[in-house]
Amino acid sequence: MIKALVVSNGIGGAAYYKSSDEIRYDLVEVTRDFDPDLTPYDLLVVPNGCDHVAMLKIRDQVRAFLDAGNAVLCCDGWFTNWVPGNRWIHDNSKATKDVRHFAKTDRHDLLKGVDLTKFDFEPHGMSGWWACGYIAAAPGADVLIEDTWQRAIVVLDETTTAGAIFLTASGPLGDFSFYGDADGISQLFKNVLHFLITRKTASTQELQPA
Amino acid sequence: MKKIGLIFNGVWSHYAVATAPKYRDLYELIYIHDLNYAAIQHLDALLIPFQSHQPALEQRKEDLYRFLADGKKIAVFGDSTPLWLDAQWEDRPVNNYWWVTDPNSPPISETDYTHPVYAGLAKPRYACWHIHGVYTRTPDRAAIIQRNDAGEIITWQTEQYGGVLFASTLDPIVEHGVQQIRHLDNYVDSLTAWLCGTKPEGRFALDPECYGVDSVAGAEMATA
Repeated sequence: MIKALVVSNGIGGAAYYKSSDEIRYDLVEVTRDFDPDLTPYDLLVVPNGCDHVAMLKIRDQVRAFLDAGNAVLCCDGWFTNWVPGNRWIHDNSKATKDVRHFAKTDRHDLLKGVDLTKFDFEPHGMSGWWACGYIAAAPGADVLIEDTWQRAIVVLDETTTAGAIFLTASGPLGDFSFYGDADGISQLFKNVLHFLITRKTASTQELQPA
Repeated sequence: MKKIGLIFNGVWSHYAVATAPKYRDLYELIYIHDLNYAAIQHLDALLIPFQSHQPALEQRKEDLYRFLADGKKIAVFGDSTPLWLDAQWEDRPVNNYWWVTDPNSPPISETDYTHPVYAGLAKPRYACWHIHGVYTRTPDRAAIIQRNDAGEIITWQTEQYGGVLFASTLDPIVEHGVQQIRHLDNYVDSLTAWLCGTKPEGRFALDPECYGVDSVAGAEMATA
C-alpha cells in the first residue's frame, strides 16, 4: 500500500480519489498557513481546480519530496512555477473542434486499454473538452500523449528528479468510472496508479537489507 | 487603474481572466486567504467566481458586507452557502451539451434583458451557456433576473445591504478563463462595464509570459 496526500482548496476536487487496499488517501485543506508535512507520503495529488498559489508556497518541500524518490500527480493548469522542470502554458490559439489526442512515448504501458477517442470526444460529441493549453516538458521527460499540433498534453518525467512527476495539461484525472467512463480517463488513472504503486514497492524492496 | 477585485482561489481559470491583456488593467487578483477589508476598500466592485473557497468566504463575511455597505457592488457566481450569503443554493446536473443535442432548449428560459449586464447581449446564448445549480431561496428584497424552464431562480440581485449584491449560478469567469466556450467576451465585457463603468474591447487573448511564474501579483503575502 502507498499513502497519498490530496490537496484540497474547498471546491470538492478531491472527491475522485477513494482509498483502496492499494492506496490510502489523506486530504489537506489549503489555508493561509498552508505548510503540509509531506514526509509520511509516497504520492502528492494536485487535482483539477487546485490552488497554485498554495503550491508555489511549498515548492521547495515538493522538490525535496520528489528528490526522495516520491511521486507527484498534477492534473491541473499549474500556472506557477512549482513543478520541477516542466511548465504548463495556457493557449487558445487552436480551435477546440480540431483537438485530437495521439499516443507517443509509453515505456510503462500507461495507455494499455485506454481509448484515446474518449479524450477526443466527451459522451455528447464535443471535442476539445479535456485539456487546455500544453506542457513545455522537461528534457528527457516522456510525452505520453500529444495533441493535433504535436504539443505535449500528458507527460511522465522521471529524469528531472529522483521521483516521478505525472502531469496533464489541466485535463482532470481520477476515477470517473461512476459516470460510465471505463476505458478513458479512469483507465489511464488506474494504469498510472498501478505504475506508481509498483515503482514505490520496487524502490522500497531495493532499500531492504540483504 | 484596477477597479474590480477578483477573489482568487489559486485556480488557473480565475488567473487566466485577470491576467489576460484585455482585462488585466481592470481586474486585481485578491487571493482569498489574504482577503480583508484593507485589501479591497480601494476597489469599486468585487467579483466572486465559481470555484471559490466557500469556507474561506464565510470567514471573511464581515469584510464583504462592509464593502457592500460602502455602496459598492459584489457579483457572485456558481455555488454559495447560506453561511455567508442569505440565500439557498442547490445543485443540479450540469447540461453543457444542450447546444449539441437540443439547441432550441437552453437551460435558462427567462431573462430580464433590461438589466445592464444582459441589455446589450445580442444572442440568447450569450446570456446562458450552462448553469451550476439554482437558488431555492433569495434575500427577501431580491429582484429575479433569470429563471430556468422549471421556474427556478438562476440569477438575482438585491440592494438591501447598501450596494448591489448580484448572484448567479452561471460561471462566466471560470469558463472564460478555460476558453472552451469562445463567445464569453460578450457576457464578461458587459459584466465588467456594469461593475466598473469601463467596457473592455476586443477578443480574449492570453499572454504566455504569465505562465510558469515565480510570483503572483495579488498573492505576494501568501507566497512571501
